[in-house]
Amino acid sequence: MGLLDRLSGLLGLRKKEVHVLCLGLDNSGKTTIINKLKPSNAQSQDIVPTIGFSVEKFKSSSLSFTVFDMSGQGRYRNLWEHYYKDGQAIIFVIDSSDKLRMVVAKEELDTLLNHPDIKHRRIPILFFANKMDLRDAVTSVKVSQLLCLENIKDKPWHICASDAIKGEGLQEGVDWLQDQIQSAKT
Amino acid sequence: MLKKFDKKDEESGGGSNPFQHLEKSAVLQEARVFNETPINPRKCAHILTKILYLINQGEHLGTTEATEAFFAMTKLFQSNDPTLRRMCYLTIKEMSCIAEDVIIVTSSLTKDMTGKEDNYRGPAVRALCQITDSTMLQAIERYMKQAIVDKVPSVSSSALVSSLHLLKCSFDMVKRWVNEAQEAASSDNIMVQYHALGLLYHVRKNDRLAVNKMISKFTRHGLKSPFAYCMMIRVASKQLEEEDGSRDSPLFDFIESCLRNKHEMVVYEAASAIVNLPGCSAKELAPAVSVLQLFCSSPKAALRYAAVRTLNKVAMKHPSAVTACNLDLENLVTDSNRSIATLAITTLLKTGSESSIDRLMKQISSFMSEISDEFKVVVVQAISALCQKYPRKHAVLMNFLFTMLREEGGFEYKRAIVDCIISIIEENSESKETGLSHLCEFIEDCEFTVLATRILHLLGQEGPRTNNPSKYIRFIYNRVVLEHEEVRAGAVSALAKFGAQNEEMLPSILVLLKRCVMDDDNEVRDRATFYLNVLEQKQKALNAGYILNGLTVSIPGLERALQQYTLEPSEKPFDLKSVPLATTPMAEQRPESAPITATKQPEKVAATRQEIFQEQLAAVPDFQGLGPLFKSSPEPVALTESETEYVVHCTKHVFTEHMVFQFDCTNTLNDRTLENVTVYLEPTEAYEVLCYVPARSLPYNQPGTCYTLVALPKEDPTAMACTFSCMMKFTVKDCDPTTGEMDEEGYEDEYVLEDLEVSVADHIQKVMKVNFEAAWDEVGDEFEKEETFTLSTIKTLEEAVGNIVKFLGMHACERSDKVPDNKNTHTLLLAGVFRGGHDILVRSRLLLLDTVTMQESGGNSFPSFCIQKQKYPGFVLF
Ligand SMILES: Nc1nc2c(ncn2[C@@H]2O[C@H](COP(=O)(O)OP(=O)(O)OP(=O)(O)O)[C@@H](O)[C@H]2O)c(=O)[nH]1
Ligand SMILES: [Mg+2]
Repeated sequence: MGLLDRLSGLLGLRKKEVHVLCLGLDNSGKTTIINKLKPSNAQSQDIVPTIGFSVEKFKSSSLSFTVFDMSGQGRYRNLWEHYYKDGQAIIFVIDSSDKLRMVVAKEELDTLLNHPDIKHRRIPILFFANKMDLRDAVTSVKVSQLLCLENIKDKPWHICASDAIKGEGLQEGVDWLQDQIQSAKT
Repeated sequence: MLKKFDKKDEESGGGSNPFQHLEKSAVLQEARVFNETPINPRKCAHILTKILYLINQGEHLGTTEATEAFFAMTKLFQSNDPTLRRMCYLTIKEMSCIAEDVIIVTSSLTKDMTGKEDNYRGPAVRALCQITDSTMLQAIERYMKQAIVDKVPSVSSSALVSSLHLLKCSFDMVKRWVNEAQEAASSDNIMVQYHALGLLYHVRKNDRLAVNKMISKFTRHGLKSPFAYCMMIRVASKQLEEEDGSRDSPLFDFIESCLRNKHEMVVYEAASAIVNLPGCSAKELAPAVSVLQLFCSSPKAALRYAAVRTLNKVAMKHPSAVTACNLDLENLVTDSNRSIATLAITTLLKTGSESSIDRLMKQISSFMSEISDEFKVVVVQAISALCQKYPRKHAVLMNFLFTMLREEGGFEYKRAIVDCIISIIEENSESKETGLSHLCEFIEDCEFTVLATRILHLLGQEGPRTNNPSKYIRFIYNRVVLEHEEVRAGAVSALAKFGAQNEEMLPSILVLLKRCVMDDDNEVRDRATFYLNVLEQKQKALNAGYILNGLTVSIPGLERALQQYTLEPSEKPFDLKSVPLATTPMAEQRPESAPITATKQPEKVAATRQEIFQEQLAAVPDFQGLGPLFKSSPEPVALTESETEYVVHCTKHVFTEHMVFQFDCTNTLNDRTLENVTVYLEPTEAYEVLCYVPARSLPYNQPGTCYTLVALPKEDPTAMACTFSCMMKFTVKDCDPTTGEMDEEGYEDEYVLEDLEVSVADHIQKVMKVNFEAAWDEVGDEFEKEETFTLSTIKTLEEAVGNIVKFLGMHACERSDKVPDNKNTHTLLLAGVFRGGHDILVRSRLLLLDTVTMQESGGNSFPSFCIQKQKYPGFVLF
């Protein structure tokens, strides 16, 4: 079965569908990142703060992603959990220039990791240390320290520095995610 | 599945509803499928349908279960199936008020509304506006403005209609979208134009001038949309109505010009608007009636129906205007559509001559059984109007009514017939006996409690005064034996009334009542016991007070007073005089001899105007201890012209020994605020001003109230009528009209108001005595007083009756305010209560010589009732 899937994937017949949650504080750049991953003709020109969520789709070389791009504003964060069950992977976006709110991001991450729908699953998490182009941005290493990512033992994770506006670093992250999902399948 | 078969067997109709046996919990369980991927659009759409069906059937969804289902539904946004997506929009709208956090779909909806798929955009706008509250609106304002002017009509219409809904809670925000709405109003699409105009009107509807401007602007340029025309016509006629009636207005010209529009819909709307304008003259009606006349011969049934229905209405007020259409209406009498035929006939009955009545009645009886109750009521209304117009025809008409009464029919229909018969009986005394006996026959087999009790009441009132009262007893007593408790109680009361008025029958009535004492029902037993005891006393006064004339107090007032009494028990017995009187005597609540309308308002038990006043006055510390409010003057009197700096209206509140004047003041100057406002009074008689309760502050255009309390003259009760000169005194503080900023310093000023009159009628409250004779006897001779007056300025008996009723402010009993034609004598019977709870009865015999002479016997328990001569020169003492 796995073989067949891959075969059809290689032949470009039908790509495997995966369901991904895109989380992170407001203004971190989630919508911008997802938008950049879409084919250029489907990209939207103007990006506004998300209210609730929005469903977006994009494809990588062998997968078809359905992303629930959630709103990061404080009052909507408690609604994320409604969507945890169905997620097969998580993209967690951090604004690396927002040192002030790094602790808030950490808190939200911890709540996420301890949620019953997430806690016992080996669900891959991709971190984007976004806005690396900004002058006061900290490095991705620093971000992973600040968020104590080394404590995550039971889930595969990866952090990439990114600039969503130019699209830098995004492909690397998506490739990692694709590998993780496919290796989990086989 | 099995269930489906069972149900098919049960239902003879065969059209089976697949959703009939849905169970909420099962459906919600199914809704978990929404969480699964990949999504099966058909299955999910079907489940959504079930959820919507349940909600629309009134099934209650708890917040938690609704929210859970709602969030599951949001996941369906991954699917691009168009049917499923549109089901989602519907679900969002339906669940927006039962589930929590529905704003979660905001971004998804804004994406759809700005997306490429036109089929999604309109519905997405509507769903979005439904979930958006005023705090969130800001976030989507930009999208709404764009959507209003969108090129796709369905998007624009959706946005406009949604804006209209939003107007209710976010007026100020939506107001900012008028430029966009204005642009949409010039759209070529008829729906968009209609919706845009609707929004513009609702934004401006509180500003008369702006509305007028809008109408003239759009009508000058002409409109594409007939719907928009219809709406403009409605708006214009509403404006006209409020402008009270000047027909020179361009608004009227606009409506009239619409009679020549190329769309039938617009033409009809215009005609119907003109016809419904209050106080429309025959000349103004004519063009409207003639287009309706044309419609009468239209091949379209809907148009014929609309025309004849409208003409029917016109015929009630202006029968002569419709006569021109008689020929066309005659053609409709045989219309295959029975509703049209009925309306045509009933219209003809109103406009036709007396001679055609028999023919038309025969015509209509040929298909009476084929038409629905609703139209039967129309027929009854027509008959009722005819009876008033041609009293001589009442025999024919009554027979027709009796036949109808015997046939099958619903409550409204039967009630219309009974109302009509009762009004005929009241108008024509010759028809009384036949009418009563038919009604007796009707209650022998009447399934409507309300009608049965109403007729029993009527029998009790009228039966004893007929030539052969005993023949009604059997019918009444049958009710006691055969009916349920409400009707039994009514029957017992009716029996008692016979016993109270007819000595010969008394022994047998007593026997019957004794049997009722053993009834199963409390109320019936109580009534029987009570009446039995009263009747056994054999005292006329008791019969009159307790059996023949009921309570005159306000029922909610009595309830409150009794409750108060039980809360603060005292040695003193409860005093009925402390209870406020019913402000309108019971009989007046029924519009007298008005055509019976199919839908009557349920009788109100809500607080009356007087009870509201009572509460407000009780809250003023200075007015403690005045006792119960006896009467408030029915309409505030203006003490200023309407266009002056200050506008003051006065309402008089009468207590047993005091009077409170309530002054409602408005300051119409935007550059000043008044403080400490009082109205000083200077009486001509021995009234004494006790205190002033000022209005603290009167800012521009915010009404305020001040009061003045006076003691009524005790020594000299003839000084009841009095004139007060009034002066408003206050402190003025200037203020800036734009910022509202006020000067610290103020100065004293005063303003002369018009004189205030207190009349005899102010001291007297109307009450209804169903049986005046009995009430008169109850009072006794020692309180009687007789005087004769000449009413020199009065020319007719009607005028005399009107003036006396108005002057005394009493209630005309037994329809004695109706003066029969061609008579030169008349007896007017009046009943009232003087403040403090003293009954007054007046029986005045009027005699028309060259002028009217009035012989007035006042039977009253308040000995010094008297009328001031000098104030009313029309009355001269013999
Ligand atoms: N300089 C810079 N700006 C970025 C980058 N990514 C996003 N932004 C900007 O950050 C702002 C917020 O981006 P969004 O994508 O709306 O952020 P979000 O996480 O979706 O925010 P919410 O929807 O409110 O949760 C926008 O003005 C983006 O242009 C980046 O890599 N560099
Ligand atoms: Mg976003």
